[in-house]
Amino acid sequence: MSMKSASKGRDFPDILAGCVMIFLGALGLWAGRDLSFGTPAMMGPGFLPRSLCVIIALIGAVVLIKALTKPHEALDAINPKPLIILVVGIAGFAFAAESLGFVVATIWLLVVGSLADPESRWREIFISTAVLTTLGALLFIYGLGVQMPIWPL
Amino acid sequence: MAFLDVLMLGFSEALTPTNLMFCFIGALLGTLIGVLPGIGPTATVAILLPVTFFLPPLGALIMLAGIFYGAQYGGSTTAILVNLPGEASAVVTAIDGYQMARKGRAGAALAIAALGSFFAGTVSTIALAVAGPTLSSFALSFGPAEYVALCIFGLLAATILAHGSVVKAIGMVCLGLVLGMVGIDVNSGSARMTFGSTDLYDGIEFVVIAVGLFGIAEIATNLESKEVRGVLQSKIGRLWPTREEFKESWGAVLRGTGVGTILGVLPGGGATLSAFSAYSVEKRMSKTPEKFGHGAIAGVAGPEAANNAGAQSSFIPLLTLGIPSNSIMAMMLGAMTIHGITPGPSVIQNQPGLFWGLVASMWIGNAMLLVINLPLIGLWVKLLQIPYRIMYPAILLFCCVGVYSVSNRGFDVALVILFGVLGYVLRKAKCEPGPLLLGFVLGPLLETNLRRAMLLSQGDWLVFFERPISAGLLALTALMLLTLILPTIRKNRKAAFEASED
Repeated sequence: MSMKSASKGRDFPDILAGCVMIFLGALGLWAGRDLSFGTPAMMGPGFLPRSLCVIIALIGAVVLIKALTKPHEALDAINPKPLIILVVGIAGFAFAAESLGFVVATIWLLVVGSLADPESRWREIFISTAVLTTLGALLFIYGLGVQMPIWPL
Repeated sequence: MAFLDVLMLGFSEALTPTNLMFCFIGALLGTLIGVLPGIGPTATVAILLPVTFFLPPLGALIMLAGIFYGAQYGGSTTAILVNLPGEASAVVTAIDGYQMARKGRAGAALAIAALGSFFAGTVSTIALAVAGPTLSSFALSFGPAEYVALCIFGLLAATILAHGSVVKAIGMVCLGLVLGMVGIDVNSGSARMTFGSTDLYDGIEFVVIAVGLFGIAEIATNLESKEVRGVLQSKIGRLWPTREEFKESWGAVLRGTGVGTILGVLPGGGATLSAFSAYSVEKRMSKTPEKFGHGAIAGVAGPEAANNAGAQSSFIPLLTLGIPSNSIMAMMLGAMTIHGITPGPSVIQNQPGLFWGLVASMWIGNAMLLVINLPLIGLWVKLLQIPYRIMYPAILLFCCVGVYSVSNRGFDVALVILFGVLGYVLRKAKCEPGPLLLGFVLGPLLETNLRRAMLLSQGDWLVFFERPISAGLLALTALMLLTLILPTIRKNRKAAFEASED
């Protein structure tokens, strides 16, 4: 990114917002490409989704174009590390829950998830994981009756 | 008198031991998360939503409502004592409340905040009890065209009154509407936007979107930067306000209650908007406006009464029309849907026990909050010292197990990741996720009624302008959008929100 673009003034959050909306609008249009549109009196399943996706993409375009002339606004500092770690933790839980059971899934989620905060200490992670896994199993599986095996099948 | 009969019914429902317990849990949890920075009522309600599936319907609603108004009390405690608003609506309270604390009058500020909130809660509960039956009997005559107009009015008004850019918010509403249409279309039976996945045939679960956008995204943003901690003013001081302080604040409480009750009903309104408006009203009405910002007790009393009144009166449109006015109300709607209740005008008639029980529980909850908050302040202050790194793994676990339990499958948990990432990106793009959630819950209602109305009119769009109520609502919507183009109003709106962001 050159200095010139910064001095000219661009609203980066809005640029991001515009791009996201154009992308999602296009994605929606593509996902619903086979749906019949119908007529106003007999709306097909694609009538509203397609109209709305066009509106989303148009709004995205307006936001994007306006953002290029707006006074400069920087994006907030982006530190994707916590998000990535959380995603890995949750993905493991999603994968393990049905087959490997509550204990394995939860320990994975909590140990990996705790690493998202750089201030976490291993001792604390072990203690809190042990406590939360036990309490969680009692509360959710025995108490509330959530249909999840506790141990690997 | 019929009014007394239904109130009796409400209290008999709310005073059963189980419901009292849920009311207490809700109020306690609300206070707790109101005190703790880093987790707000929206995220909490989202996370607890799946758990409510296991509770009786009324108990679930009582608890969720308790979290919402309880958070308004808790948020003010930290705002006053450590200048750290635990909750967005307490931001204004911090301005004068913290200054009072520095002068050793923290006790008085806390007491006035709690008493003002209690008074406001009582008044807005009565408003709900009075307005409910009137509005809902009016809404019972609504046909499809009226519902379409009401949805459009609700959705667009919410974007105008909400924070930030209106255009982006409208985009978010549309995105929510589209997300609400994923799955099998009830009319034609064709699968819409499922990307070939049979897991999506039943549509996206509300809980998945709510937990992803508000739960996971919030944790990710909180962990990005170092935790901010306030400095505790050691002395809380005498709790009971002086005669002078009472005299200065009772007017403010009355005005705040009025402002909050009215603004809470509006789409997009609610606690935060009410608190900011009440603060500016007090500043303008005051004979000594220069004292504001330096510990004026009216600057604590007004907004505190207003945010509580607003929190409670925002239940009015949800319970009477079935239209949620903000994201928490959208989640209440989600909770009702989980239990097979369709919010709307028929609730009062078909399930009077539910409606009046909820109303009565709000008043009981407010009374409980008074007890939870004032004598136990020392305990809440201690809780502030819990670091976020100890807290968030528990929140994470609640999110994941909760989402899993909705239909007992890992697929939903995986879907949460998608919405967590989306929520994170939207935060960076300064897009509010609230309107998206509103669009999502209203999507099916809007589409069904739009199709029905157009079928009845044989494709004539004019039907929306021929029926008086729908024409009126649409005219009002157009008027609101037009005023945004007027430069003076645009400037005022911007100024109002900029002040609120400081």
